[in-house]
Amino acid sequence: MKKYVLKRVLTAIVTLLVILLVLFILMQLMPGSPFNDEKLNDDQRAALYAKYGLDQPVFIQFLRYVANMLRGDFGVSYNISKNTPISQLIQTRLPISIMIGGMAVLLGAVVGLLLGLLAALKHDTWVDTICTILSVIGVSVPSYVFALGLSYYFGFKLKWFPMLFSQRQMFQSSVLPSISLSMFTMASIARFTRSEMLEVMDSEYMLLAESKGLSGSALVFRHALRNALIPIITVLAPLIVDLMTGSLVVEKIFSIPGVGSLLVNAIQSNDYNVVIALAFIYSAMYIVIMLVVDILYGIIDPRIRLAKKGD
Amino acid sequence: MKKSKAFMALLLAGAMAALTACGSSSSSTTSTSTASGSSTETGSDAGTTTADAAVSGEDMNIMLETPVESLDPQQATDGTSFEVIADYTDGLMQMDADGSPIPAIAESYEVSDDGLTYTFHLREDATWSNGTPVTASDFVFGWQRAVDPDVASEYAYMLSDIGQVKNAAEIIAGEKDKSELGVTAVDDHTLQVELNVPVSYFLSLMYFPTFYPVNEDFYNSCADTFGTSPETTLSDGAFILDDYQPAATSFHLTKNPDYYDADTVQLAGLNYQVIQDSQQALMSYQSGDLDTTLVNGEQVDQVKDDPEFMTIGAGYLWYISPNMNASDPDVAAALSNKNIRMAMTMAIDRDAITNDVLRDGSLPTYTAVPPQFATGPDGSDFSEDQEKFSDYCKYDATAAADYWKKGLEEIGKDSLTLDMVVDADDAPQKVAAVLQEQLQTTLPGLTINLTVEPKKQRVQDMQDGNFELGLTRWGPDYADPMTYLGMWVTGNSNNYGGWSNSDYDAIIDECTTGDLATDAQGRWDKLYDAEELVMEDAVIFPLYTQANAEMLSSKVTGVEYHPVALNRVYKHAVKTE
Amino acid sequence: MAAKKAVLQPAAAAETPYVPTDDDFKLKNSGTIDIDENYASQSYWKDVIAHFFHKKSAVVGMILIILITVFAIVGPGMNSFSYSQQNLATKNFAPRIPGLEKLGIFDGHETMSTSTGSYVVNNYQDNEEYSNLYYWFGSDNFGRDIWTRTWSGTRVSLIIAVAAALIDMIIGMSYGLISGYFGGKVDMIMQRILEVCNGIPRLVIVTLLLLVLEPGMLTIIFALMLTEWVSMSRIARAEMLKLKEQEYVLASRTLGAGSFFIIFRQILPNIIGPIITQLMFSIPTAIFTEAFLSFVGLGIPVPQCSLGSLISDGFNSLTTHPYQIVPPIIIMALLMMSFNLVADGLREALDPKMKQA
Repeated sequence: MKKYVLKRVLTAIVTLLVILLVLFILMQLMPGSPFNDEKLNDDQRAALYAKYGLDQPVFIQFLRYVANMLRGDFGVSYNISKNTPISQLIQTRLPISIMIGGMAVLLGAVVGLLLGLLAALKHDTWVDTICTILSVIGVSVPSYVFALGLSYYFGFKLKWFPMLFSQRQMFQSSVLPSISLSMFTMASIARFTRSEMLEVMDSEYMLLAESKGLSGSALVFRHALRNALIPIITVLAPLIVDLMTGSLVVEKIFSIPGVGSLLVNAIQSNDYNVVIALAFIYSAMYIVIMLVVDILYGIIDPRIRLAKKGD
Repeated sequence: MKKSKAFMALLLAGAMAALTACGSSSSSTTSTSTASGSSTETGSDAGTTTADAAVSGEDMNIMLETPVESLDPQQATDGTSFEVIADYTDGLMQMDADGSPIPAIAESYEVSDDGLTYTFHLREDATWSNGTPVTASDFVFGWQRAVDPDVASEYAYMLSDIGQVKNAAEIIAGEKDKSELGVTAVDDHTLQVELNVPVSYFLSLMYFPTFYPVNEDFYNSCADTFGTSPETTLSDGAFILDDYQPAATSFHLTKNPDYYDADTVQLAGLNYQVIQDSQQALMSYQSGDLDTTLVNGEQVDQVKDDPEFMTIGAGYLWYISPNMNASDPDVAAALSNKNIRMAMTMAIDRDAITNDVLRDGSLPTYTAVPPQFATGPDGSDFSEDQEKFSDYCKYDATAAADYWKKGLEEIGKDSLTLDMVVDADDAPQKVAAVLQEQLQTTLPGLTINLTVEPKKQRVQDMQDGNFELGLTRWGPDYADPMTYLGMWVTGNSNNYGGWSNSDYDAIIDECTTGDLATDAQGRWDKLYDAEELVMEDAVIFPLYTQANAEMLSSKVTGVEYHPVALNRVYKHAVKTE
Repeated sequence: MAAKKAVLQPAAAAETPYVPTDDDFKLKNSGTIDIDENYASQSYWKDVIAHFFHKKSAVVGMILIILITVFAIVGPGMNSFSYSQQNLATKNFAPRIPGLEKLGIFDGHETMSTSTGSYVVNNYQDNEEYSNLYYWFGSDNFGRDIWTRTWSGTRVSLIIAVAAALIDMIIGMSYGLISGYFGGKVDMIMQRILEVCNGIPRLVIVTLLLLVLEPGMLTIIFALMLTEWVSMSRIARAEMLKLKEQEYVLASRTLGAGSFFIIFRQILPNIIGPIITQLMFSIPTAIFTEAFLSFVGLGIPVPQCSLGSLISDGFNSLTTHPYQIVPPIIIMALLMMSFNLVADGLREALDPKMKQA
């Protein structure tokens, strides 16, 4: 097991470096420079390129970037917030995105699980139909439409929650964005739970458990749900990263100072450093979470644990 | 559909409340209490009891479309940053309500007879918010930073090309040291500026943030963090920044008690909120969280009869630039054909664009220099008369079709496909969609393809000459027609279309550095001749002068709006209950 | 079990045959009794098709997909408007449908709520000229017919999604099959490459690609394709690992069949089921991703439209003219749902384990 984990961690690090290089190359291909306000002349642009080292070959830039990064220096923003260290920009924003994303995951996972369970238990009844419809709406209506809809009803009409994010009312103002973000997770989890549960409840060991006289909640929660949860975790993992890094558009609508809106702005204004740093952090989170899930998976599921030993 | 969505939302909100109830002691009560309004509003309720004092107890809540890019006056380039920097920094001059320069930190000034030397006398009661007085050397430091190649300010050209400050261009190019810049601190309160040539609008540049002072000791004490937090900014203006993070979506300024002109400042502070979604912004305004907000064309129907609705000129001229040197020789030949260009500019129904699509008060424009920003020696607006050149571009479907037919014959084609680069922003995209339809229906055989790209990329494409038609804009840098007419000189880097006319170049030359440079009225008249050359040749297809549709609460008065440099000034704003 | 044995023993001893009563056994699913039926032996695919059509939801999904596709083909031609034709004089007209208008719905009225009070307008009646004008789904803020645009948008979205999914399938499938079949070093290297591809945030890569390349339908398909093949290749590889040790593969190999023959001619037909299922699942993902791209301004170039670009256009008028966003959203929801239902149905039909259900 230890060897396996070590191997996975090493691969993850190499993967990250390769990703970083790919991002660098992609950024080089990007048309437009970060500094072309229509009023800039060639001399000035050359001065700006020299100042930020953008006149160097890509490979040198890459090596320098990696070296700086190891010291925790992601460079400065060219555009979005001129000359602000990116670590400073991200420092304040990442926690906000994680908080709202976390609330959304929690809400989405819990409600999704409940809906999925309900649908599976009441298979082929009207409850099932309603749950299915809800989850279809959840996956097919874009989150920004939910965002504005919620904001209109609960923020503007009913005034239950603030329409915009504010640091002073952190919790209340996170409610609407979290709900709109959680819709997709909720719907995916509900759908997945339903089908997993149906499969599990149909399996031989459930028949066995049932014939042993187990019934009701013990049967559902101790046996069925537990087994259904394993695959659900794998679906949840990538969703978590998506949400944590903030749904780009929802952050824009609620004026949330998170990393998602930062990324969109950075891409649109060619702020290379910010794009690379955020994309890198996003990748790192994704890889770490997938790594953790894989390892967890090994711990939870004996079949995999045994198989991995021979690996 | 709608019902089920609402139902589900309810369900989830319920679930949410239930889920969190164990976490926070009384989530349901907190959420109802927010319904009564934000904390700033509850504060103002108390203020109403003392009716007379009400004016001093209010924060003004302002909506911004984009976050601040930089609070370093020499690094900032966008309108939002300029507005905020100007909230807490005073330059030598400031703008009065009409946009004319009036003294600020400079108490008085003298101009030498040849117009090449300006001497500013600084007021002695101006201090920075850390107590040190504002001195002439603060300006010297700030201006030197603006041209310093190490700082690499994007607006350095304000000192060189536009301000014509002595040695500025050489310093930017790295040929001279920044200490040779033509600005000297004669003593603590006397600043002397030397120019290469007389610049008639020089005083009006002084309220442009690039020319603002920076205290050297303070700057050095912040090292690289200057302008990134309240602690690393210094105020010598009406307000003090007291809550800010880089690229923040909300931040706050409070009244500066030590401001030399503190008595005229009525607001207690400014509360900025960045909202990128226009519908959210309007809803926030309507529920009282904002005192002013921008309104998108889509929402104008909702508010057009509201007395608080207004439109404000923003100065920018939007136009199409046809590239006469396009890389495709056929396209270059077609766009170099005057009849083709005339056909296109006359096929555009500018009124439809402003009235039916933008709806934000933008003015259809038939001149190369937009109205509302340049005032002549006789006090009149340079482009007041929009009829002057309208024969060269006004919408006329039959005339356009005639020109088109003639043009196609001349280039020996029966159809033409052109590509137009457009910013990926809301308004330009809408305008482009209409233009595409108008041009294609009026001019048979014309196909317009739209290439939508982020603004930075579009600008680069146009600068590289890598475009056929470009939908672009130009904002005035200073209150003189030259800020536009200077663009179409042969070889100018902003002459995207590559038009060249020696008569035109001669006129512009005469008006900048030649005989007419000091003859205000003569220069003015001559500039019309230059403009006519541009219009007659359809060098650009002017479309409209941008305006912003805004809501301003009836409680607020005294906000000053300007199309140049500082778009909104709050120094004299008053908010009452 | 022990209890039953205890009952049986005395019965045998007493020589009288024991007649089981209803109380002895209780069927798991009381009410419905699963009775084995004798099926005539039929081919695998006939079996799958029969199972698929047996599942009501899958059939409904299928019918919806067919219906929407038909409308996507003929819908834009059903009235006199074209998808790009603007008429600024008739912008923002509410839906009006002949026949239904007599019932007081879809008669072109809408309630405008303004800051100075709300009122009902009917643009069609305000001007004589428009008394015979019918925008079935209303008109947008350029006076374009939403009906025509919705269906031509559906067409574009379907083409993009299906093309992207098909290309995904081909690339992902080949990659996964090859990687799984050869195993060892090849597999290791191919899987590392895949991990890198998978590690780059999808949205970032799609967005960057769209900025680098010329905008247009092909670019969007390409960008979508680049990111979605990973899951397809995983499935193909897993299936390959399962099958490659089977006897028939071994036999084939002993007979001297080449690797590519075995991969594509012998194994591929056996895993086509899961692949098609995954294909069905990736279509809605592609539709959704395209919708997101439209929202950040990287979608299909105007005046063409896709469901995504229609939704993002309508979004700007959500609080003023909500009817503009409804048709594309409903079509998109139906499409997503139908593809998911069909995919679910296929999965169940193809999976022998789930057949009894």
